[in-house]
Amino acid sequence: MIKLIEKIEGEATLDFNFKDEKIEFVDIKFNSTRGVENILKGKNALDALVINPRVCGICGHAHLIATVKALESCYKDIKISKKAEIIRELTLNFELIHNHFKWFYLTLFPLFGFKQEVLKASYASQLMGKAIATFGGQYPHTSYAVVGGVVCDVTSMDIVKIHSYIDETIKFFEKNVIDVDVEKFILCDNVDMALNSEGDLPKILKEIYEKEWLELGKSYDRFIVFGGNSYFKSGKSHKTRVSKKLPFEYVKEEKNKSSYAKNVSFKDKYYEVGPLSRAMLKKIPLIKDSHRRYGDSILSRILARVCEMAQLLNHSKALLKELDISEASYIEPQVDISKISASGVGAVEAARGSLIHKVELEEGKIKNYEIITPTQWNLAGGSRENQGISQKAMVGLKDEKIAELVFKTFDVCSVCTTH
Amino acid sequence: MKKLKVLWLSALSCNGNTHAFFNYPNLEYFLDNFEFIYHPVIDSEYSLEDIVCKDIECDILLVEGGISDDFLRANTPILDIIKKYAKKVKKIVSVGTCASFGGIFKGGAYNDVTGLFFDEEKKIDRLEEFRDKAINVSGCPVHPDILVNTLFSIKQELKLKLDNLLRPKEYFAYSIHNGCTRNEYFEYKVDNHKFGELEGCMFYEHGCQAPFTHGSCNKILWNEVNSKTRAGLPCMGCTEPSFPRENLFSTKKNMGIPQELPLGVNKRTYLTLAGITKAFTIERLQKKLIDD
Amino acid sequence: MTPKKRQKYEAIIQKSLELFASKGFYNTTIPDIANSLKMSVGNMYNYFKSKDILAKEIIQYISVYLGQKIKEINEEDISTKEKTTKIIKMYFETASIKPEMIDYFLRIYLSNREVFVDSCQGMICVNEFVTEIMIYFEEGVKCGELRDQDFFSAFGLFMGYLGGMVFLKGENILPKELDEYVEDISNNIYKALSV
Repeated sequence: MIKLIEKIEGEATLDFNFKDEKIEFVDIKFNSTRGVENILKGKNALDALVINPRVCGICGHAHLIATVKALESCYKDIKISKKAEIIRELTLNFELIHNHFKWFYLTLFPLFGFKQEVLKASYASQLMGKAIATFGGQYPHTSYAVVGGVVCDVTSMDIVKIHSYIDETIKFFEKNVIDVDVEKFILCDNVDMALNSEGDLPKILKEIYEKEWLELGKSYDRFIVFGGNSYFKSGKSHKTRVSKKLPFEYVKEEKNKSSYAKNVSFKDKYYEVGPLSRAMLKKIPLIKDSHRRYGDSILSRILARVCEMAQLLNHSKALLKELDISEASYIEPQVDISKISASGVGAVEAARGSLIHKVELEEGKIKNYEIITPTQWNLAGGSRENQGISQKAMVGLKDEKIAELVFKTFDVCSVCTTH
Repeated sequence: MKKLKVLWLSALSCNGNTHAFFNYPNLEYFLDNFEFIYHPVIDSEYSLEDIVCKDIECDILLVEGGISDDFLRANTPILDIIKKYAKKVKKIVSVGTCASFGGIFKGGAYNDVTGLFFDEEKKIDRLEEFRDKAINVSGCPVHPDILVNTLFSIKQELKLKLDNLLRPKEYFAYSIHNGCTRNEYFEYKVDNHKFGELEGCMFYEHGCQAPFTHGSCNKILWNEVNSKTRAGLPCMGCTEPSFPRENLFSTKKNMGIPQELPLGVNKRTYLTLAGITKAFTIERLQKKLIDD
Repeated sequence: MTPKKRQKYEAIIQKSLELFASKGFYNTTIPDIANSLKMSVGNMYNYFKSKDILAKEIIQYISVYLGQKIKEINEEDISTKEKTTKIIKMYFETASIKPEMIDYFLRIYLSNREVFVDSCQGMICVNEFVTEIMIYFEEGVKCGELRDQDFFSAFGLFMGYLGGMVFLKGENILPKELDEYVEDISNNIYKALSV
């Protein structure tokens, strides 16, 4: 049976194959691509900073930051000020938080039979949009991070303003989502405790307990994070094994016969990317507890995504304090990009997981560009013998509605997956 | 109060307009006045398959994204879905530059990408019979205020004045340059802009298209707080049929003279004024705005 | 300005140019100019409040005159190569018919900058002329005939060359008349500026 999945920044179809009334294999198809990598070919390198955010309307900022990092890695020697690094990290954090709010209230709520909370989603995500725009001019689709830094200067009043957006978002998050103090929530190391309040998160968690969905949606229990920064730790983990070295040459993209989503593997293995992976590598107490009890199930995945909002809000406040506005926002590169012939890679953590951009420049023009999105890691289909992350998570379920829920806990974004 | 029924379709797009719309500050008020029979993110009474198969009442059709003969939604050519609703609606609003003029995904995976009524600035006849219902609210993405206020004006049956590219003049008669905080550096031809500073104008070196791009980005700010040019990022001309041009971070000049000049200003006038202002040194504009 | 006044205004400029050329700028006084026009000094001051103002208005007068001539050439539907020849021809013709005008432009305006520093900042007094040269260059690049480069690199080459020739002519060093050099010089300048 084929089910059209929509309201995911485009659409996908899930073709469910049952055996003994249980899902045996789900053929995941993304039916369209815009061919962004081809559009980039032959263009001036810096034009990628304008084109790439348009890969995606909901996580375009991550594409911008990945692009600028990929271009900067083409330089032998380039200086980026600490200030610019912090500002870039902040705006990316804000985008992640904004994404998670939308996913939580627009996607997850209806999946649990609750009414979509449009106004809650928009209120919080708008605050984060304002914070990005204060630095970047607008959200979505700014190109404010350029090779050498960021285009904006920052005044102390901007900092005051951004502080207020973060605080207001924290207040909203505490009041609506978790019903406890963020500080307390971050220190919480027990899933049972997270249940004991009246917020919207406990509301969802209680449903999971009541419906006995605790073990739902388990996959390979393999996690990978490429975009380490001042908060996220890069590396991969499987059970208790953790390794930090992730050479990009082991990342392999493969065309898919029936779908425009190319699947992607590391050393020929599929890995889950996203908040759960980040929490596992960062050893977030609450998520470790959930994982210890229920593995890489939807509970852990949902909890990780919500928990990440709290962590990032808190971390952003700390980052903002580190910002020294007397530093330069932009340091002009010594070599003009039109003289650069080299290859580069940029990896960042986007809302849905690791996003990798690879670029090959010839005298400042783009000869080749490759975008590997988080949703490819999680959602692109593998074969029956070697199933992809989300495919594996749906195997054995009886009901395709529940399978859709599992699928959407990865936070699906169709436009990114095929780009 | 009767709500107007709106269908929001996504064609070949990044869904950036959907998310820009989500930044409209008074969404509750909007939803009191309009009802989405389908929207890419907001829950609706009907599924996309219902939209395709059933006969559903609709007042306004919104399309985001470029159009191609081969592009399908719910296994149906997008053009068929558009035509089905174009017949019954009062107005067809092309949301964003892709739907208006073709936009950024031309030259990608589909080779016939256009807007609904235009291929760049050229009129096309894909939906010619419905041209009298068409309104373009271009921008990559659309500014939420422009979209929402256009929809309210349809609801209130106001007669909108449109420009030759079918954009509401109230928003597109302005240039992006209007209201930019860097205006003085432009007016007095202080041309040493560097990225990362509050000072300077990006028109001379860094490709800013604000003086010759139609729109209201500096009149109604983005996310209610800022604009690209205020932040220090050149205007990329994203409301125009030519978007995206090539070499977006540098100004095309011939013998030092910018090839594109402010809207409606002839070259002789521009050069004469530039020559005069360049003759003077305005100290205030030579130093840091906020100094010690 | 009434037509009669305009006529007088232009006569003053013309006479001043001649006197400046023959006696030198500093050796010429307002009474000198008034006398040679059979005007009272008082009336003279009705037209120009000071010698500095006169000096400035003369340069503007020349700029407008030359600018207008180049504008006519710029507006013709001809190639940049042809425009180059026509502009040079016009310039040399002016230098032959009104040597005092070009002389003023080259010697007085450019070598007595202190006179012009307050009221003629930058190129403000020669705006009309420079604007037309800019348009000539810009259109040449746009249609693909001229090489894109910094404006002043091109402007210096163009003006330096023409100025040098007029200077040599003024010093009676040139063996031939200026117009006999038009073809060669046009070729040289065009070659130097073209792609």
